[in-house]
Amino acid sequence: MSSGHLRFSAVDKKNNMKGETIGELEELVLLTVGALLQEAYAVAILDELVEKTGRNMDVTAIHSVLRRLEKKGLVKSEMRGATNERGGRRKRFFDLTPAGRAVLDETMSVRMELYQKLPKLTFFGI
Amino acid sequence: MKDQTNHINPPKWATRFLHWYCKPELLEDLEGDLLELFDRKVETKGAKAANRLFIWLVLRSFRWSAINKNQKLKTHSLMLTGQNLKVAARVLWRDKFNTTLNILGLTIGILCFVQMGLYVAQELSFDQMHSKKDRIYRAYLYEDYGDGRIFFNSVTPMRFEPLFKKEFSEFENVVQWFKRTYAVQASGDNWINEEVALISPEFFQVFDFEMEKGNASNPFTGRYDLILSEGYAEKYFGKEDPVGQTLTINLEKEVVEFTVSAVMKDISDNSSIQFDLAISNELNQTLFGEQALKGWTSVSQETYVLVNENSRIESVNAKSQDVLMTYLGENFNRDEYTVGFQELTDIHLNPEVPAGIEAVSNPTYVYVLGIIGFLVLLIACVNYTTLSIGKSIKRAKEVGMRKILGAGKQLLVSQYLTESIVVALISMLLGTGLAIIGIPTFNQLTGVNLIYSFEWWHLGLFLGLGLLIGSLAGMYPAFVLTNTRIMSIMQSSNTTGGKHWVRKVMVTFQFLVTVLLISSTLIMQKQIGFLQSKNLGYDYEAVVAVPLFANIQSGRFTERYASARDNAQLLQQNLQQHPELSNFTASSHAFGTNGWMHLAFEDVKGSFLWFRMVGVDANFIDAFDLKLVEGRNFEKGNTADERQSIILNETAVKYFGLTNPLEEKLPGSDFGEHRIVGVVEDFHYSSLHEEIEPLVITQNMSPIFAGISDTDFQDSPFPKLLFKYSGSSLLAVQDILEEEWSRTFPNRNLEYEFIDENIARQYENEARLNKLIGVATLISILIASIGLLGLTVLVVNSREKEIGIRKVIGASSAQIFGLLARTFSWQLALGVILSIPLTIWLMQQWLEDFAYRVSIGGDMFVISTAISVVIALLVISYHSWKATKVNPVKSLRSE
Repeated sequence: MSSGHLRFSAVDKKNNMKGETIGELEELVLLTVGALLQEAYAVAILDELVEKTGRNMDVTAIHSVLRRLEKKGLVKSEMRGATNERGGRRKRFFDLTPAGRAVLDETMSVRMELYQKLPKLTFFGI
Repeated sequence: MKDQTNHINPPKWATRFLHWYCKPELLEDLEGDLLELFDRKVETKGAKAANRLFIWLVLRSFRWSAINKNQKLKTHSLMLTGQNLKVAARVLWRDKFNTTLNILGLTIGILCFVQMGLYVAQELSFDQMHSKKDRIYRAYLYEDYGDGRIFFNSVTPMRFEPLFKKEFSEFENVVQWFKRTYAVQASGDNWINEEVALISPEFFQVFDFEMEKGNASNPFTGRYDLILSEGYAEKYFGKEDPVGQTLTINLEKEVVEFTVSAVMKDISDNSSIQFDLAISNELNQTLFGEQALKGWTSVSQETYVLVNENSRIESVNAKSQDVLMTYLGENFNRDEYTVGFQELTDIHLNPEVPAGIEAVSNPTYVYVLGIIGFLVLLIACVNYTTLSIGKSIKRAKEVGMRKILGAGKQLLVSQYLTESIVVALISMLLGTGLAIIGIPTFNQLTGVNLIYSFEWWHLGLFLGLGLLIGSLAGMYPAFVLTNTRIMSIMQSSNTTGGKHWVRKVMVTFQFLVTVLLISSTLIMQKQIGFLQSKNLGYDYEAVVAVPLFANIQSGRFTERYASARDNAQLLQQNLQQHPELSNFTASSHAFGTNGWMHLAFEDVKGSFLWFRMVGVDANFIDAFDLKLVEGRNFEKGNTADERQSIILNETAVKYFGLTNPLEEKLPGSDFGEHRIVGVVEDFHYSSLHEEIEPLVITQNMSPIFAGISDTDFQDSPFPKLLFKYSGSSLLAVQDILEEEWSRTFPNRNLEYEFIDENIARQYENEARLNKLIGVATLISILIASIGLLGLTVLVVNSREKEIGIRKVIGASSAQIFGLLARTFSWQLALGVILSIPLTIWLMQQWLEDFAYRVSIGGDMFVISTAISVVIALLVISYHSWKATKVNPVKSLRSE
């Protein structure tokens, strides 16, 4: 595969015209959803991302990314787990769909492929 | 722990807002997430920070993807929903003629409003750029010695700066500044006369003039430092870095080298303090004499004070007289010599306090223009309203149908408001766009200097203004339309759906404003024409004035005056070789400048008298063709005349009460040897705003100076060489002058003025106002015509059948035209009649500014009425005429 235009055949194109590629934040969130297994809800994702990337972001950005991903069919969500915290409100837990998993696999393999092509020894300053 | 935090809740309104906008299916988890973060923040940072975070998150969550689009927004009447917009677009598109008229009218109205508004805003923005402006005041000096000996000045003695600093702890800072004209060395032998400001070293701690280079608050590092504006830095040093370079200035007595220590940004036009070159006023001590430094009545400085944050200017006002009395001693009585303070932002538009160093504006003109801009916009809105009411005849059925189908009133109103808002926003876009593009044209047309710089918040302002105009203009038609009862609409085919009288009042109002503006423009035109063509009593066509300089920089005024007069002689000798130059004379003041030397003395009976004086040579009377009514002119070469003869004007003879003036003296005891040899007919040596004042013409000022107690002059009293040019090209006189000047005074730069230009400039403000009002008049005529055109079309349409029937019965085309023309005639007549008293009242206020003025006269009203009638008829005629020509069969068959 040559570098350049990346296409993700796994994404349902009819559902989403823009869905051909996913952005960097979308990718990070998608990965985190996968990594957190059953515990992926917005605040947990936020905490994880802030901790791992050290980036300063707020929960509303995560919300809007999650809604976008759900619309693209890459994640699915369900409401559960009412507790005394959060004023008794339930949480919306997210999980990867097969399509989401496929997108991640595709992205990773493209990255790996390109990464392998890097010369083993780099010169200073390159 | 967690149980405790549960008691702290986020702000209620934020929660409520979230509930209002959020999609219900997203609400629960979203709110839960926000609450979780809120609780966490309460524990780590406390309730306040948590509240802030929560509000921030609620606002940030207000995104397209979270908004409940289905219910809330669509039924909310203020939102321009897609449905309303679609209908509005269709309606507007269907009636293109009407829509075009509406948009055109509003666009022109907004164009006029925005330009006038920008002008007014610019005038109001004076001195607003200083961050401490609310605490900065300018001192003024009010002296009243009885007998009308009142001296009111915004320039103050030099000693006020140290005095205020010492006596008034309320002041954080006191600074002074003033301007002197000094020769600055440009290069080699080339000297340029420049206005140099002498400012207090702390000047920039009070005012926020921006520095480009150098220390912002303390730009002077030494005594002989110089601050340049960017423009002047380029003028003297080109592209080089000016800081550290030197510039040589010829001060009062000595030639001094200054070092540039700072470059400031050019001071913007809307500042009451203007300078390009500044040096420290620490130099005052060496430059000026005891009288200037310590005198109580030698005024030259503008004194600005910065009041402490917790002090008030009133506490200074309360004690200033006491403090002054401790210094003034026995020569002054209490309350004869008083100090007051005026807010910095008040300076530019307050006519009560005299102007200081820089000119100020007339607030009346600013407000008049603001009101006119507003009136024109109002006419444009009225236009829209009348046209829409008219159109409601056509739309009544549509409304009825909508109501029958169950449309609520709110929905209908929002539908019609949407239409007018769309029209207003399109007009706003066009109007503001044109206004901003048209600023150079506007400046050229009116002679004002309008500068517009875009800022983002203006977009919001314009948008808001568009919404406001749309709502106001559309409000009435919307309610008229929707309030009509369904049955009356559906039963009768000819209900108008609106009240006729409202429309008629609005049309009358439109006529009234238009006629008012036309009459005012005409009257102002008449007055300005009168000012410009009035015989001033002397001949000033193509007269050139060249100010001279004195070779010595110090010494008594009379010595320096004599030196400058010798220079005038030198220049005259060289210029005389050119045959097209004639009528040479040297005079201390030239015509067309106000503020000739103003002198006062106490006469033998103890009353206080004042007069103006001009120092001339023997050619003066002949050069300007002044008429002698008594006695004789100065004789050339007569040394007695040169030493002691004076000539008075008629007003002076009357003022001094001389019944037989020849060989008499002025009625004061201390004057030197002098005698009156002649009397000239009165001539208007200052502007026609003022009455002619007593004038003394003399060749030798010394004996007169000996007897006076007060002087004041705004115009420089140094001699000017005046001569008349009889050639055809004014460029040629410039060439001759430049050549001869550089031959006579190779190291000095030349200044000269044409007297007729100076005289015209005295009425510049009035001419500018007239032009602005003229533009507004044209615009309002245009808008009113557009409105009238639209109304005519509507009336013709609604009376189609009537016209058809009349024609069938046998009415002629002319009769029918007359019938249609009569529709608006009484409204026009009423508008004209009502405008007359209003115009007379307004114009009398304006004319009071002139000592010499025209009478308002009936002719102006006849002309303006004729203009408006002719325009109205023209506008009405085309469509009416067309209506009379239609085959009645066609119109009767319609429907």
